[in-house]
Amino acid sequence: MLDDLLVRLGNRDRLALARVLTLVSRGEHLAAIRRAVAARPEGTPVVAITGNAGVGKSTLVGKLAEHLRTAGKSVAVLACDPQSPLTGGALLGDRVRMPSKPDDLGLFIRSVAAASGHQAVAEHVDLMIRVLAAFGFDVILLETVGAGQGDTAVRDLADVVVVLVQPESGDEMQWEKAGLFEVADVVVIHKADLPGAERMEAQVRELLSLPGCREIAVLRVSSAKGQGLDQLWNAIAHCPKRAGELEPAAQLLLRRAQQVLAERLHDRAGSVTPLVDRWKRRELDEAQAADELLHVLVD
Amino acid sequence: MDQQPNVRIVLAKVGLDGHDRGVKVVSRALRDAGFHVIYPGLWQSPEAVVRTVADEDADWLGISLLSGTHMTLVPKILKLLADAGLTHVGVLVGGIIPETDIPKLLALGVSKVFGPGTPLPEIITYLRAEGSRTHA
Repeated sequence: MLDDLLVRLGNRDRLALARVLTLVSRGEHLAAIRRAVAARPEGTPVVAITGNAGVGKSTLVGKLAEHLRTAGKSVAVLACDPQSPLTGGALLGDRVRMPSKPDDLGLFIRSVAAASGHQAVAEHVDLMIRVLAAFGFDVILLETVGAGQGDTAVRDLADVVVVLVQPESGDEMQWEKAGLFEVADVVVIHKADLPGAERMEAQVRELLSLPGCREIAVLRVSSAKGQGLDQLWNAIAHCPKRAGELEPAAQLLLRRAQQVLAERLHDRAGSVTPLVDRWKRRELDEAQAADELLHVLVD
Repeated sequence: MDQQPNVRIVLAKVGLDGHDRGVKVVSRALRDAGFHVIYPGLWQSPEAVVRTVADEDADWLGISLLSGTHMTLVPKILKLLADAGLTHVGVLVGGIIPETDIPKLLALGVSKVFGPGTPLPEIITYLRAEGSRTHA
């Protein structure tokens, strides 16, 4: 059943793609799927769109997708919406603001529920991205849930992070507190047709020109008027690589290693539990226990 | 959460019918019952609905119709689903459906019709009993 599904995925069967993404989101058959899609092909850009709730992330993702389709690029969208921590339920409504073009097979939109505690993106999104890249999409757009403080996971997942702000949305101290611009490679003043956009841009530029800030593109975009999308994609496509970080391939390997450890922790519970008990009885201190745990997991 | 996690349901408004109060109430009730509800918005074409069901790998499609077009649109959607290889997807119909049309819709392959006044727990209980249809 699974083998058959993965063969169909390899043959670019769209229903198989949809089902594999479901399995990934449920955390099922992760190892086999990971093997099947191998490494993410070099050069499939992953662009994250983040920002507060209501700032226009879905709308901009939709416009950007249309723009890329016009330029002949195939696009996959992963749209994250929050999942209730109480019931596990989710209302996934990002499609409302995205293009509805059922005949266009070059556009794939998938809504995913992000549990709280996963930093504004759904669990296993990294593997979903790899599945979509292996399927052959030219660009992957990742929309986060309305981001707040410290949602920095997107930075590891995406090559370029676009942060959206809108006019009349608080003063610069708000952003300093929120740290939203820390993750930004590109800042978009969205809804730029509204009054106050120019002042907003000036404030953002002033903030980002303080000593110690990275070079970040700042653009005004109006999805309502269709203005600035060209410039936005240009800024994304020419975004300089982030300095002073592990290169993406190394980060990918590190994340993979972390996942393997987590999976083994689960699989080897028989060896792990006694170790944990010994630690709880204080026969080992924390460092010793962690050391032994590493042996259990690696050997 | 005693139910299976992550049962995915697309709730759709098809055609020019703009009455979305009902579908929004059901959306919220299902979300609060632990379902993942995908709502693509008003004025969807049958083709767009089927594309959404396919790409979202939904277990269920709930169609809300208050415009009297159910005997035209529902058969069309069922045919498109079959053509797309999506016969495993359960189809529910809600809204204003005359009593005499309900057996016809069921005969076409609709799993269940929920009319006005259906208590929300009835829908939830039904879906929980049926569970997920997409486990590989």
